[in-house]
Amino acid sequence: MPALLFEIGCEELPAGACREARGQLPALVQSKLGVDPSRVLISPRRIAFLVDELPDLSEPVWLKGPPTSAPPQAREGFARRHSVSPDDLVERDGFLGALVAPEALEERLASIVRGIAFGKTMVWRAGGIRFPRPIRWLLAKLDSETLRVEIPDVPSGAVTYGHRFTHGEFDVPDAGAYLGLLRNADVEPDADERERRIRGGLDAIGEWSDPLRKLDEVLYMVESVRVLPGEFDERFLALPRRVIDTAMQSHQRYFPLEGNRFAFVANGGEPETVTAGNRQVLENRLADAEFTFERDRRVGIEGLESRLSQITFFQGAGSFIDKTERVVDLVRKLGGGEASLEAARLAKADQAAELVREYPDLEGHIGAEYARLAGYPEAVSAAIDEQYLPDGQDAPLPGTEGGKVLSAADKIDTLHVSFGLGHKPTGSRDPYGLRRAAIGLCRLADEGGLTVPRDLLRDDVRDFVEERLESLLDVPVEFVRAARRSAMTELGGVAWLARQLAELPDDRLGPIHTVYTRAARLAGDAEGDVDPALLAEPAELALAQALQGTDLSVVAARSPQAFAAAADLAPVVERFFEDVLVMAEDSAIRANRLALLAQVRDEVGRLGDFSQIPR
Amino acid sequence: MAAVNFQDMIRTLEGFWAERGCVLMQPYHTEVGAGTFNPATFLRSLGPAPWRTGYVEPSIRPMDGRYAENPFRFQQFWQYQVLLKPAPDDVLDTYFESLAHLGIDLVRHDVRLVEDDWEAPTLGGWGLGWEVWIDGMEVTQWTYFQQMGGLELDLFPAEITYGLERLALFIQQKRTAFELEWAEGVTWGDVYRENERQWSIYNFEAAPVDVLTRRFGEHEAECKQLIERGIPLPAYDQVLKASHAFNLLDARGAISVTERAAYIGRVRNLARAVAKLYLEEADARAPV
Repeated sequence: MPALLFEIGCEELPAGACREARGQLPALVQSKLGVDPSRVLISPRRIAFLVDELPDLSEPVWLKGPPTSAPPQAREGFARRHSVSPDDLVERDGFLGALVAPEALEERLASIVRGIAFGKTMVWRAGGIRFPRPIRWLLAKLDSETLRVEIPDVPSGAVTYGHRFTHGEFDVPDAGAYLGLLRNADVEPDADERERRIRGGLDAIGEWSDPLRKLDEVLYMVESVRVLPGEFDERFLALPRRVIDTAMQSHQRYFPLEGNRFAFVANGGEPETVTAGNRQVLENRLADAEFTFERDRRVGIEGLESRLSQITFFQGAGSFIDKTERVVDLVRKLGGGEASLEAARLAKADQAAELVREYPDLEGHIGAEYARLAGYPEAVSAAIDEQYLPDGQDAPLPGTEGGKVLSAADKIDTLHVSFGLGHKPTGSRDPYGLRRAAIGLCRLADEGGLTVPRDLLRDDVRDFVEERLESLLDVPVEFVRAARRSAMTELGGVAWLARQLAELPDDRLGPIHTVYTRAARLAGDAEGDVDPALLAEPAELALAQALQGTDLSVVAARSPQAFAAAADLAPVVERFFEDVLVMAEDSAIRANRLALLAQVRDEVGRLGDFSQIPR
Repeated sequence: MAAVNFQDMIRTLEGFWAERGCVLMQPYHTEVGAGTFNPATFLRSLGPAPWRTGYVEPSIRPMDGRYAENPFRFQQFWQYQVLLKPAPDDVLDTYFESLAHLGIDLVRHDVRLVEDDWEAPTLGGWGLGWEVWIDGMEVTQWTYFQQMGGLELDLFPAEITYGLERLALFIQQKRTAFELEWAEGVTWGDVYRENERQWSIYNFEAAPVDVLTRRFGEHEAECKQLIERGIPLPAYDQVLKASHAFNLLDARGAISVTERAAYIGRVRNLARAVAKLYLEEADARAPV
């Protein structure tokens, strides 16, 4: 069987497009050619694949039609659509089908070009096809035969191109020769091989790091791998380390090493020349950061803080000074200590820092550095540093108490302000990151053990935040919904209770559930006090007494005793229902018995709204 | 590599692109943030008529001034802008040839195309392209326009914007822009250092906020009147002037985050209306 090579030659593709092509090609080739590609080769200038043994594609294709039992009209219609005689339909597995000439290989290849779904595409010729960057050539070889693949305005021939500057155009005599010839032309089209070489090269240079995860991108930024070491002037080590690392990674995609060393991946050039140039570029960036850093430092964190009145936090919610005052107040309400209060006062100062304007991702971190430089205690700096954590579903929480309190206060304020102004997230639109803030708050309370009083949150914000628990906790949602209507006074407790309820064994949950739902159903919305003088039947006296001795509010202190105590009510309540006629003719007695059941409902209801839990 | 000075670099680029059929234009007469705003690019990108041009443009970005204290940030720097409409198939090769023309050895250096898509919210324009790196230094912005003034394009142009200071830093192997040789015996600093200092004072301290706020509204109103009148070219100047007033207000810190979006939207609406009228006008004038 012959070998097939197909290459789509492009102008430099974005890394994201390369990944999309790499992800989709195997299935696409399988669906168009009925065979898995032996190799998928992706680099910035080419999307290619090889099939070592291409099966015979010249056999007619059987297209499934109506079942054999279908009326003649259906057969005739199907046959007409495929331009065959109804008599020529062929049966397989109870269906009639038409045998039609297969699509030519060239057409299948063209449909592969059109079949890759890219997120972002462009047009380079009016009326032409869309692709992430212009396609400049196509190369298709079936062994030594050259196939012409029709894509408008794109030449299809027997040539490919090597490294953009060291090797030009060359002939590919047959499919099998492609890979070797490309490698001779200074191109490594296999992304895995490039990654192996990049990692190997970096390892050979030293302890490298990749905090912003650039390697996946760098992999698709070169066709030829040259890993080079570099150094920058040691005077820049006076800059905060995160600033240095971000300057290296965010735009330049360098890999930081210890001290003043770095490594980077080039696509060509003389190592000495290229290294000197890259060093210069990095030093220019660091000098720019140094200049900005010095200007901020001269102003100092107190000075920056005093500028906050001029910076709007949110249209309708005042300046960052107003935000600061609200956050300080919330920190106090969350029980924050001296360090947390000091941190809250300084937390937003870096919003006035020029360095934050340059490196917005380093907000908080830069403020912390400036607080350190001004001699504030480490607890204060650390809290400022951690105020935006956790910034994602799996991101780490603040490590310090101050950081947790400050982070929670900041999130609560953002949620309150946004909801107050009517900016509730809708559908997938959440421009102010309120879902993330709410999830962060839940995690601080639950995983972080921070006490967040539920009554600190306005009603709509509390609902929004607690709804996040439904997806955050690994517990069926009905338990979370039940726990949200409990007597828990703090957010973390709701999460704790939801888990407890979900883990209760059936013989414990069952009786509590029954007690609650029966009492609640019968009591309806009854309220009011029980008059002991009207209690006559032994069973109702026993229930009143049992209730007297039961205090399920201990659940708020996360006491598992509460479940045992609630379960203890079950036999008493059961006896009550057996022995006592609630709907007594005497209306006073009836009301009194309903009030007694309402007490049961309310007492057991401290553990949650069990009617949310289907049984 | 020959250490070509700044003005020779410009002359080399002009000669190179003139030989390739570009109409050599001059900088526009009102402030623009980038050569893209020059009507020779913005308006000429629209419609079915082919067009090739090259010109120097001073990029005026009030926010970026640093009182001449920071040798890497300026409120005015220079671009060499090339627009090829439609983009020829070998346009990248031609661009690389222009670098070779400037004396850059493409084999000794690491020359790369790094994904960088372009979007101009005030112009209602976007395109896909790259920034061009030489040994890690970004020297050119490269874009295939897809939309301009909110309109789909008939022909898809390639826009090549050389950052002249960056390119000169690289070619002349200088550490700061101030040290660049502009002409023999004259540095970039000699020509523009004082300019940076004074304009930074103006942009950040002296530009009158109330006057600029009023002017923004006036330019907007005038633009609308001129659109009504059916003269898109003068109307477009009002877009540029409104856009510059906005940039100055921004530098003065007079625009809050939420107001920003509204201002940008107002400029974009003007740019769209002008683009639409320009096309209608061009159609009307075209021989049947």
